[in-house]
Amino acid sequence: MSAALHAADLSVPGRLEAVSLDLGPGELVAMVGPNGAGKSTLIQALAGLLPAHGTVQWNGQSLSHIPAAERARKLAWVGQEAHFEFAFPVREVVAQGRFAWGDDLTGVAEALAELDLTFLADRPATRLSGGERHRVGLARALATQAPIQLWDEPVAQLDVRHALEVMRLARRLVDGGATVVVSLHDLRAAYRFDRVLVLDQGHLVGNGRPHEVLTAALIRQVFRVEATFVESLVPELPEM
Amino acid sequence: MRTRLAIPVLVALLVLAFLASLAFGELRLSYAQVLSALMGGGDDIARTVVRDFRLPRALVGMAAGAALGASGVVMQAFFRNPLASPGLLGVSSGGALGAVAVLALAPATGFAAATLWALPVASVLGAFGATGAVLMLAQRGAGTERLLLSGVALNALLGAGTSFLLTTTAGHFEVNAQILFWLMGGLESRSWEHVWMGVPAILAGCLLLLPLGRAMDLLSLGEQSAQSLGVDVRRLRRQLIVLSTVLTALATAVGGIIGFVGLVVPHMLRIAFGPDHRRLLPYSMLGGAAFLLACDLVTRTFPLGLRLGVVTSLIGGPFFLWLLRRPR
Repeated sequence: MSAALHAADLSVPGRLEAVSLDLGPGELVAMVGPNGAGKSTLIQALAGLLPAHGTVQWNGQSLSHIPAAERARKLAWVGQEAHFEFAFPVREVVAQGRFAWGDDLTGVAEALAELDLTFLADRPATRLSGGERHRVGLARALATQAPIQLWDEPVAQLDVRHALEVMRLARRLVDGGATVVVSLHDLRAAYRFDRVLVLDQGHLVGNGRPHEVLTAALIRQVFRVEATFVESLVPELPEM
Repeated sequence: MRTRLAIPVLVALLVLAFLASLAFGELRLSYAQVLSALMGGGDDIARTVVRDFRLPRALVGMAAGAALGASGVVMQAFFRNPLASPGLLGVSSGGALGAVAVLALAPATGFAAATLWALPVASVLGAFGATGAVLMLAQRGAGTERLLLSGVALNALLGAGTSFLLTTTAGHFEVNAQILFWLMGGLESRSWEHVWMGVPAILAGCLLLLPLGRAMDLLSLGEQSAQSLGVDVRRLRRQLIVLSTVLTALATAVGGIIGFVGLVVPHMLRIAFGPDHRRLLPYSMLGGAAFLLACDLVTRTFPLGLRLGVVTSLIGGPFFLWLLRRPR
């Protein structure tokens, strides 16, 4: 399998220590770890949004050599913070996802619908709840139609229905050949991903299939809690 | 749509303010006299008044207003803070200090002949100094408090420098009066030299800003998200800070410290027509030009010797307080 994204020795002083990993097409990847483990830093470094040592390559091409607009068409990022200081209507914010495509509006209406924002499309983004703002951020990333989607804690502020819908959306994108990386705190949800990355104090300490990685021993070592995995307690994603 | 009306309305306001600027003053002229004087006809006095005095004054006023309006829009997008503006952040004060330093040094250095062109240069340098300081004091995305407090500190510091120069030149009455001119802003006795000094460069700066509107939309909602969506953020930030500083400095060089235009004008237009920078930029240029001419008309019509900077602050101060109280 050819790697869609290949990171080698990614380091950010004090925050990330020589992380190497490959992300393939059609992979749904969970990123877990305690607060301050470096999840956001790794996601930002993979997206080329902060100065880091090491390299990130997209199909053999160094990300830092790809012009900003071209990179934006390959790689979308959703940050943990979703603040909007200016009262752009929701539709306009989502349409910003098309900037790198010369502002053609393909997929904007669909992105709004996917995140259940159609009825809010004309509302100023400054007048949304925290969860709604996060959905706007996700819709904007979706509108880019980038094959690699990096989402930093996308569901932490969402209600249960919207959180499930976002997970289903991620699965659909992956089924269509995309790579989706999602950082999250819900370890039970992480079992349903294709792969789990575990970060601890800036080190990548786990990288593999959920059952192999999320062992009681590793959870004890990283999170300092006792946990056992019980198959029947892992929530299935209900079909729509 | 409301936005379709914006340009015609703003242009009409600007033309009105422009014609009124040419007609009103100590010698009240009719609009017919103004037009014939512009065409080179009419009597000598009217022609001289319109073409040698009021026209350069109006052109300088329009350019300064457009520069300050545009500069306000840029700073607000750059700092992602609707309360940022060249006056509140101290960039205007930096420009004024530069200009005042040149004026204060003129008698000592026999520099007087060169001051006309030294002024804008010193003003640009002073403004860049202030911009650099603000960038260090308040990182991008800094909260309103930190940003405004940095501005307060910087304004106080630069004001102290200006006051110092003012007292050291107390013996030179003319120099002193000139410095006061800068501090309170004004368009009196602006000549064609001032027009050449400020207007083409301001026009160029405004034209260079216009194509950046779309990228400013993205930047105004977050630096990292803008970068991830394909904006070359480093390059854009450099362009924006240079252009807005130069525009503020040039406006200050030709008109002194004129506060609140960069805050009031973009804000009113944003409330009326939305935050889209592709529209907000040209609207604020037109609106800033019309607003400044209107304020200048007030200074001329009231016999109190009101200064331009005083009038804009009298309007802008209460408006700013209203903004702070307004629920977001």
